[in-house]
Amino acid sequence: MERTFSRTLDSLSEIVSFLKGASDTLSLDEKTSFAVNMAVEELFTNMIKYGAGGDESILVGLEKDNAQLIIRLVDTNSEPFDLTDLQAVDTSARLEDRRPGGLGIHLVKCLMDEVSYEYKKRVTRIRLVKNL
Amino acid sequence: MFEIHRVSDSEIRLVGHFDASQQATASEVFDSINGSCSVRFDELDYVSSAGLSVLLYTQQRLSKEGDALKLVGMNPHVRLVFEYAGFDQIFEIE
Repeated sequence: MERTFSRTLDSLSEIVSFLKGASDTLSLDEKTSFAVNMAVEELFTNMIKYGAGGDESILVGLEKDNAQLIIRLVDTNSEPFDLTDLQAVDTSARLEDRRPGGLGIHLVKCLMDEVSYEYKKRVTRIRLVKNL
Repeated sequence: MFEIHRVSDSEIRLVGHFDASQQATASEVFDSINGSCSVRFDELDYVSSAGLSVLLYTQQRLSKEGDALKLVGMNPHVRLVFEYAGFDQIFEIE
């Protein structure tokens, strides 16, 4: 199942509803459902933050393939932003040395089993895999 | 749905879904704290990295005066997010 959402933070509540429905349909447990919601919200928020010039809507899709859940986000007319190539967040730094940047992507990588990124003809495609 | 309540000078209560669209609302309340404070998470279902940023910024500001936030009553999912972020090392979580 898939749906497109307007490029605005106001879409987050619609995304939560969409993912809740998808989780029920796909019979995902609470832990998986939380992880999927967080990963999609963080990536969607990032696409808004760093892709103001992109097309009006962003696609979110989910499908179950045997023991895996595959999640896709597609952002058309976007700028490149390779989330798999970011500097790692230092999660053991002292309080005064902590910076919030990169935390969202770090969490996505912790919550998902695979994260891949493709950028072709101004289209960003992010594919996440969660083992069930 | 997200709500933030300033229960007293030393207690804040969070309710619902704390995502990036709520960052400004939450910052306004956290910026008004001037001493050590408990943050109640009992009714909070979700916190995004934007929410973590607000807490981090507040903790850094308060620590300069020797004060700190104490985070109370997190559900296991939210607790795991704090652990992934390494925030269990820079916040007292009860």
